[in-house]
Amino acid sequence: MRNASRAAFGWLALAAGAIVYPLVLPGAFYIDVGTTLLLAAATAAAWNIIGGYAGQVSVGHAMFFGAGAYLPLLVYKLWQWPPIAGLPFGIVVSLVLAVLVGMPTFRLQGHYFSMATIAVAELIRLVVATAEPLGAAIGLQGPAVGRGVWDLTFRSGLPYYYLFLALLAMVLATSWWLQRSRLGFYLRSLRASERAARSLGVPVRRCKLLALMLSAAFTSAAGSLYAVKTGFVDPESGLGILVSVQMIIVAALGGAGTLFGPVLGALILIPLQTLTNTYFGGEGSGLTYILYGGAILLIARFEPGGLLDLVYRARGLFAKPAPSSEQSRHAA
Amino acid sequence: MRGNRLARLLLLAGALMAAPLAQAADAVKIGILWPLTGNAAAAGQAAKAAAEVAQDIVNNAHPELKGIPLADTAGLPNMGGAKLELVFVDHQGNPSLAQQLALRLITQDKVHVLFGAYQSSCSFTSTAVAERYGIPFVIGDSAASNLTGRGFKWLFRVTPIATDFAEAYMRFFDDMKKQGKSIRSIAIVNENTDYGTSVGDAIEAAAKKNNMPVAIRIPYSASSSDVSAQVLQLRDKQPDVVIFISYTSDSILYMRTMRNLDYVPPMVLGDDSGFSDPSFIPAVGDIAQGVMNRSSWDIGKPGSTTYKINEMYKAKTGRDLDDTSARNLQGMLALADALNRAGSTEPEKIQKALRETDLKPEQIMMGYRGVKYDETGQNVLASTYLIQLKGKQYEPVWPEKAATTPIQWPMQTAKH
Amino acid sequence: MILLQVIVGGLLLGAIYALFSSGLTLIWGMMNFINFAHGEFVMLGMYAAFVMVLWFHAGPLAFIPVAALALVAVGLLVYFGVIRSVMRGPMLAQILSTFGLALLLRYLAFWIFSANFVSLPPTALRGTLRIGGILIDVPQLVGGTTAAALTIAMHLFLTRTRAGSQLLAVAEDRAAAMLMGIRPDRMQALAWAIAAGSAGIAGALIAITYPFSPSIGEVFGLTAFVVVTFGGFGSVPGALIAGLLIGLIQALSAFYLGPIYKDIAVYALFIAVLWVRPQGLMGKA
Repeated sequence: MRNASRAAFGWLALAAGAIVYPLVLPGAFYIDVGTTLLLAAATAAAWNIIGGYAGQVSVGHAMFFGAGAYLPLLVYKLWQWPPIAGLPFGIVVSLVLAVLVGMPTFRLQGHYFSMATIAVAELIRLVVATAEPLGAAIGLQGPAVGRGVWDLTFRSGLPYYYLFLALLAMVLATSWWLQRSRLGFYLRSLRASERAARSLGVPVRRCKLLALMLSAAFTSAAGSLYAVKTGFVDPESGLGILVSVQMIIVAALGGAGTLFGPVLGALILIPLQTLTNTYFGGEGSGLTYILYGGAILLIARFEPGGLLDLVYRARGLFAKPAPSSEQSRHAA
Repeated sequence: MRGNRLARLLLLAGALMAAPLAQAADAVKIGILWPLTGNAAAAGQAAKAAAEVAQDIVNNAHPELKGIPLADTAGLPNMGGAKLELVFVDHQGNPSLAQQLALRLITQDKVHVLFGAYQSSCSFTSTAVAERYGIPFVIGDSAASNLTGRGFKWLFRVTPIATDFAEAYMRFFDDMKKQGKSIRSIAIVNENTDYGTSVGDAIEAAAKKNNMPVAIRIPYSASSSDVSAQVLQLRDKQPDVVIFISYTSDSILYMRTMRNLDYVPPMVLGDDSGFSDPSFIPAVGDIAQGVMNRSSWDIGKPGSTTYKINEMYKAKTGRDLDDTSARNLQGMLALADALNRAGSTEPEKIQKALRETDLKPEQIMMGYRGVKYDETGQNVLASTYLIQLKGKQYEPVWPEKAATTPIQWPMQTAKH
Repeated sequence: MILLQVIVGGLLLGAIYALFSSGLTLIWGMMNFINFAHGEFVMLGMYAAFVMVLWFHAGPLAFIPVAALALVAVGLLVYFGVIRSVMRGPMLAQILSTFGLALLLRYLAFWIFSANFVSLPPTALRGTLRIGGILIDVPQLVGGTTAAALTIAMHLFLTRTRAGSQLLAVAEDRAAAMLMGIRPDRMQALAWAIAAGSAGIAGALIAITYPFSPSIGEVFGLTAFVVVTFGGFGSVPGALIAGLLIGLIQALSAFYLGPIYKDIAVYALFIAVLWVRPQGLMGKA
């Protein structure tokens, strides 16, 4: 009980910090960095539902992010709708994709699911890059100057910041609910041992599919907000493999399969990216990536279970909501 | 140069700490967005060096550079000799990072003008930020034609764009036909990102308008490690001119594969980029003799202004100035000219001065007919030369008044 | 005749794919370890050759073995420095560590050699053979045959030698292998040394024909993943056949459909294969 209330206190403090951050550091640049951080946390938390809790490592989440990012700009291009109106369409497309990818591949285990998701995402990227109606290689643009408030083209970054914060809150709330639900229990059990879960009557494929759809829907929503904010998407920035990899890195760095892991990952990685790029980017020596890659390597080397493990060990504050390090590498 | 990286790094760290103190009140700050890492890093790095040469030309007295505005004085005379201060950032080819960095440059570094951004994707997002904040943005080099023409008021582009190149090619073909060369059809081979697609589309459209049959259009991915299928397709279609819109490794690969498959069309026309990369000639110069290339830049004879500018660049990088970087250098010089005439760092005054820009051919280093922007911000006097690889360097061969040597057509007379 | 030329070109390209993928299949199949930095190993092999040529004007007979040895050293360093501890963690840590390693290696090369493209100056391995109307690029031919030879050698090593079967035993069942007195640590280090060394040879051979820059590893890495999955994890002959097949599909689809469709064709086929035969062409079910 005491632990639970301390956890609740921790979350409250974090939420309060996130809400007042733009007021404490009001520069447009800091707000944009904050927004980037929230986006990274939200996509990683969405990925975490299938990749962390269910242990199905998708390396193709860019397809959902891209669907989410393309649809708003597509409805703008075709019918001059406000881009945000494309968000539900993006989710629908992503759900369809999730079913199409999930149905066949969830027969497979381990690396096969990863490889299949890479392949599907790359296939979609390549097809979109040749599709004239989708802007082909050049990409799609949103309204450069807003025609009304619904175009959501603000000069101030503040509205975007709170939009992304709301999204992150929704993903985390869903994850929190998931952890305590029957589905969450099933997912953890099938992650530990799929065979055992199946023999205990867990509907393995259906659970995985549900988790993937949930994950896809949130990733897609994040993609839509990204497109509305950026006002631009092209195959590389919407569907590139780095988009998928970033979600994995953020989640794994913090601790996959935990509620707080993706947030922690983003809290570390995004400032690291921004700092290295701010101080060494203009130099152009590549030092940005040497430090960034080196930091990731070191964390993986010394904390393979994610930094949250370290936090728990150091603080001994509360019991882990879900153990993260027993994700079996013998799964495949 | 590489050896003293550490020294430069320490210097940089020192500069960062000393920044608030050292900030000269009257310096004009230019924020420059380029891909200094990632796949386009080579182009970004070369452009960075070119921008630093432009800064040197403006900030220090260079009376030896005849005709170039602001060369013979130190700093901007109308602003009491204010210096240009360049703030480089690396957007890594990521459009959302470009957006964030444009914000940083405007709100944190308080730059007066923005300059960039190479990839069209990054230009799209960063110019939109400049537009929202009312800060002038000068595009040094980005291909997509629809960058200008979005109704932006703060956007200026010095470089010629895809449609200009396409028209130049058509005029060139007409001239050749008048000289009795046979050009029954052309082929367009383009890499399939924003650059290749924009230019390829423009050429195809111009060819249609000029009744020039396009025998085949081949879009391909620049990361291909084998292009023999494409070369065989070309050999099959027998076009009289093959236009390559290619990056570095693919243009080299095409030349080698054509040689290996024993295919020599009457003329190969490279669209700048890969064919202008300093690694192109060392790699395939011997087998690509007679290849033509588009360029607005010519190093010129020893003693000429352009030659001296090239020497400055070479001292910095060890390589000759290529066309892409030269266009960026020219963009910086044209911007500096406007800044000087603005006489102030107020955005509106800079915008007005940019609009009133009217540089004559003798005031610029490139082969443009001048610099003058239309209402969309596009330089309407931008134009290009065509050059041909003879020996170890390209020589201007078209238009006739810029030619230093007669054109060789077909590119290779005897097969070896 | 033109079709034959396309097929020959595709097979030669496929052999190159097989060449740089064979090392990955060893690591991935034997140790169930995803190495995102494999493409960077190939890239390092290219620069090792470049340095040898630049400093010592070495020919292929000198720079290929040197590249192999250099990469064996890198492989061992990576194994003992990083992989050994990462292997105890979850599968995600593998992705995390090797992705970090890939960035680190790529940008170290960037720092040292700059972003500019370089090519090797002409070596003894240059020119074109004309066989019955078909033109064959000599470096590609050498690369292709070396790939085949290397793959066969690797296969023989694994199946016919004592060290090889010990390696396989560790892959099969680590605990049982330990009971039999095999030291898994040494075997796994050996696997990394072989994998990195073969990537080094691949890089040096490819560098003869292709211009390269530090970011070239990205392309090789992704292709290698597809080849390995296609062929079946851990199957060395599978990687060879899959490499050849993918090269062939690319060449044919590039010629008949257009080059932008060649990767689309590969991925579409790849997904189809995963669907009907998830274990890959030669993988164990």
